[in-house]
Amino acid sequence: MSPAHLEGYLVVGAVLFALGLVGFLTRRNMIIMFLSAEMMLQGVAVNLVAFAHFRGNLGGQVLVLFIVAVAACEAAIALALVLMLFRRRKTLDVSVWQELREPDQEPIEDEGTLEAEEKPEDFQHLTPAGAEPPARKDTEEVSHV
Amino acid sequence: MISLLLFADGEGVRGFFRENWLVLLPCALGFVAIYLLMPRANRLPALWGGVLAGLALILGGFVLARSQVFSVETILFLAFSGLAIAAGVMMITQSNPVHAALSFAMVVLSVCGLFLLQAAPFLMAATIIIYAGAIVVTFLFVIMLAQQEGPSNADQRSREPFLASLAGCVLLASVWSIVHKTYQPGDVESLLATLTKVAAVKNTDDVKQVLGDPQTMKPTERDLPLVEQLRKHFASLPPDHKTLNDIAAIKLHWAKLDVDNLKASAEAVRKELEPHRNRQGSLGSDTPHPKEKTPVRFEPGKLPAGNVAAIGRTLFTDYLIPVELAATLLLVATIGAIVIAGRRSEELR
Repeated sequence: MSPAHLEGYLVVGAVLFALGLVGFLTRRNMIIMFLSAEMMLQGVAVNLVAFAHFRGNLGGQVLVLFIVAVAACEAAIALALVLMLFRRRKTLDVSVWQELREPDQEPIEDEGTLEAEEKPEDFQHLTPAGAEPPARKDTEEVSHV
Repeated sequence: MISLLLFADGEGVRGFFRENWLVLLPCALGFVAIYLLMPRANRLPALWGGVLAGLALILGGFVLARSQVFSVETILFLAFSGLAIAAGVMMITQSNPVHAALSFAMVVLSVCGLFLLQAAPFLMAATIIIYAGAIVVTFLFVIMLAQQEGPSNADQRSREPFLASLAGCVLLASVWSIVHKTYQPGDVESLLATLTKVAAVKNTDDVKQVLGDPQTMKPTERDLPLVEQLRKHFASLPPDHKTLNDIAAIKLHWAKLDVDNLKASAEAVRKELEPHRNRQGSLGSDTPHPKEKTPVRFEPGKLPAGNVAAIGRTLFTDYLIPVELAATLLLVATIGAIVIAGRRSEELR
């Protein structure tokens, strides 16, 4: 394997890492933010495997195995936390947790935020009373026989 | 340190741009594409961003493949990495979380293709099973469990898309230009390989095979490409330096087919060139242990594809304690996830 090949793999790893970074910074959906973090880990894994091949040393591949194990743990814990947060506020938006910011920090307002719709209040509906529904024909015939 | 690496020529920012414009152009195109594709209130049609992203991808692939031999490995590398990057862009720009999770599965599968090209078949299998099989499915489960009603701010709007894309672009551009500068294809490795070959010749036939036959060439053509490249590489040395004399000696001894002296001067030049290689970023070599039944160390670049046994050996000898720690970590994470997520009955009360 030549250094020219190594450059390609390192660049692909860097691109995946940068994409993950952009996704983590911009997106407001908690699940997509965690997916972006996982993509950053994928970029690092590409780097490590390329170096393992380049140097003929298996330490890089072993480290990727540990990354996979840690990513599995992280996914389990993070998704449990996401579910807990979702049950509290009924939304995956991270912006509803802005009161966790520093006391002297202004709240962030994104441009073009959708207004929360006013929902009409949902009353229970009873089935309307009135005329008896017509009996079905086939059951009538059965009853006559 | 970084500025020292980038601006080593003393030309400042302008010199940096002139030297690296081929790397910076795809980064800038990608930045514009990502910015246009991010979900927001009045987004342009996705076609514009898509076209720009495709352009950036093709340009980046061209920059990477420019110096490589046109081989099957290169084509597979370009295909897998292009697929991975395209799926990654789709993942961070999709407004539907389910589509984003599926794009992430695509990223993982393409990265597994890259693993296979890098002699890591076990990692490929493990990553497909764990990532694409288990983690993505867990994500999909959570997306289904946490359904929101109607279009939501979380999916339809993004936070500071301009600044974030700029940050990503600057990160990528700096990493890429440093990698580009460090691993400039070229030359020290191939020169070293040729010199090692020359230093190992045994008789005149070997010399003719490696460097060409001086007797069959016309006098005007008697220029060794090896010597020319070596001179170019050592151009900064003073003209009466010992290394330059050795280089000239290579040509002289080759013309006379003087095997012993040729070997001696090739070895001398090789020793001079060896430190340059370290400066070029190859981090030296691990010495292989040929006597082991399952070797775990190999020559640089010579990692065999069938290395599962070697991985197992490394994992359970050199990295035994980390393996135990990873097992403990998995157990703790399992218990933690149950404790955190298993409170549904309390909430209902």
